[in-house]
Amino acid sequence: MVNDIDPVLDRILRQQLSRRGALKLSGAAVGAAVLAACRRATEPGIGGSPGGARPTLEAEPGTLEIYDWTGYGDGSYGDQVLWKQYRRKFPDQAPNFTTAFDDDKGFTKAAAGQTWDITHPCAYRFPDWVDLDVLQPWDTSLISNFADLNPALEEVGRADGGQYFIVADWGFAAPMYRSSLVEPRQDSWDLLWDERYAGKISWWDSVNMLVVAAYYNGVSDPWNMTDGELAQQRDFLVDKKPLVRTMWQDEPELIQLVKQEEVVIAYAWTSAWNWTRAKHPDMVYMEPKEGRTSWSCGFALFKDTPNYYHAHEYVDAWMSAQSGLWLLQNYAYGHTNTRVDLSKLSRDVVETFSLNDPAVLEEPRTHPERHIPRRDTYSEFWSEVKAA
Amino acid sequence: MASGGTVAAEVRASAGPRTDRTWRVTLGLLSGPLLWLALFFLIPIGLVALYSVGAITVFRTDAGPSLASWQRFLTGPSIYLGLFWKSVRMSLTVSVLVVVLAYPIGYFLALCAPKRKYVLLLLIIVPFLTSYLLRIVAWRVILGGQGVINSFLFWSGVRSSDDPVTWLIYSQFTVVLVLVYVWVPFVALPIFVTLENLDRSILEAASDLGASRWRTFWRVTFPLSLPGVVAAFVFVFIPTIGEFVTPQLVGGTGGYMYGNAISDLFIQGFDWRTGSVLSLFLVAVVGVMTVVFARFLQVRSVAAG
Repeated sequence: MVNDIDPVLDRILRQQLSRRGALKLSGAAVGAAVLAACRRATEPGIGGSPGGARPTLEAEPGTLEIYDWTGYGDGSYGDQVLWKQYRRKFPDQAPNFTTAFDDDKGFTKAAAGQTWDITHPCAYRFPDWVDLDVLQPWDTSLISNFADLNPALEEVGRADGGQYFIVADWGFAAPMYRSSLVEPRQDSWDLLWDERYAGKISWWDSVNMLVVAAYYNGVSDPWNMTDGELAQQRDFLVDKKPLVRTMWQDEPELIQLVKQEEVVIAYAWTSAWNWTRAKHPDMVYMEPKEGRTSWSCGFALFKDTPNYYHAHEYVDAWMSAQSGLWLLQNYAYGHTNTRVDLSKLSRDVVETFSLNDPAVLEEPRTHPERHIPRRDTYSEFWSEVKAA
Repeated sequence: MASGGTVAAEVRASAGPRTDRTWRVTLGLLSGPLLWLALFFLIPIGLVALYSVGAITVFRTDAGPSLASWQRFLTGPSIYLGLFWKSVRMSLTVSVLVVVLAYPIGYFLALCAPKRKYVLLLLIIVPFLTSYLLRIVAWRVILGGQGVINSFLFWSGVRSSDDPVTWLIYSQFTVVLVLVYVWVPFVALPIFVTLENLDRSILEAASDLGASRWRTFWRVTFPLSLPGVVAAFVFVFIPTIGEFVTPQLVGGTGGYMYGNAISDLFIQGFDWRTGSVLSLFLVAVVGVMTVVFARFLQVRSVAAG
């Protein structure tokens, strides 16, 4: 019987193998074709030709695709008012918003080939975005409010001779704490690793923690550290990490942690302070002796956008003084329009952020966020802090 | 013998064309899943493997071919390897706990509750109809400093209200707890199925021969259900090693797992090379473990006496 079966099995196995092999080969061919098609599609410049004639405002499709932070126009907090003038001009062409949670995630998406019309990165990433070669400079003559904008901040948005970023908003990052529950030994970043409050502290999940540790430890240039200095900050943070309850990835998470009293000390932006002090009026936004860090973010225009003129109109609306006032009142974020009427703001906001002092953003009192040339190395060390 | 051979030849001749067609149909039906597996599993893993050594590049900033990423991972300071073993330990804990908790459920449903067993099974599965994220986030309400458990402790006076139990949430304990909670219903199913398919006459025979219920269970039921238990164990162990959603939401700094490192390298750190290396390492280890466990699943015999 065995002799009878063997030839049959043999034939079947041979058939099986060749058919399976053929299937695998065809699968590989299809896969390779799909990959090739995908790669071609993500190369920039495939859509339209920037060198060619630009359609006029009326001829543009009109619906803007905007990749922006939550609450910056998408309506999460009643913030559509930020682009009120745009809506009046184009009542039927509301933009589509995609929420950005994180600068790094947005950058990764764009690097992987995703495009929008407008996005809103922050200054320490400006050179990386320019290098990605997906943006084009703005035509500032089309933005009527540009003349009112803070020139020092707008200078940050210039690159390669063009205004690649219309710097719109700025703010601080500093320790924030509940004064009724926390008594800092001094106004310093070391509150973020104060062992008296172990388990009630939250850090931001970002390489900026390495920079903050560096300012605390007296490093000369925290934005451009050597491997040795980075290793020092890493070991320092790993040592202090057990004091941290959890690291927040986006602001809503931080606000929830603070409101639920899971943490009483946190690395925070000013908006978190503004949003939580309604529930906890004893919330204090510290000015540490080593200096707060500040950030600024600006609008960027994608190279292949079909809505060139609409994009300019949108940004112009956002840059108005009324939008600036709204931003300050609701998020305690600064706006680059110098004509914002400070008298309309509550006094504690003006005082906490020294809005009446134009020098508040200058060194050494505040450390504006700068481009980190060795960001990849910083990321590695930060990953190691988290993994340890 | 000769007649047997002739009969065999006749049988083979008459069975020949039908066997051929059966195989053709089988292959035709298999080609769909095989193509799917090739396109969406084998090829992507191959691409990731090629990317991790630089044989293919995606971004302009990618370095060329080199084994540096692998070298650093395997022989450099073992932060990621250490994290891997930590994740394996946590997964083992979760898997053992899940199987230990799910076995009684499966046993009860299969062997003790004949009338309403499928209704009860449905009740166990009902939580899956809700969103995975919601089920994890709901634990914050239960375990938080002002949550259900701590509020009860304050109310009953066991702890004062400014001294809540803090290790309940944002810790390794939370990750293990939530993963066990999520996986127990999943695992009760294969155990239930295995026990359901047991030949009851064997169990009857055991009690007829004078074995107590405990002995019957330990000597007959459990060994026969072992393939199902091992399958269930593997079923939980493999996904939980790479788990990253639960640690991110409720793990805090102590619950950081290997899956989080991979996720962060790809999304936050933008170091896809190292991320690929870590992913492939996980796939390789899991592959080896699956092969090893598959041997265990061949267990069919029950030791006598």
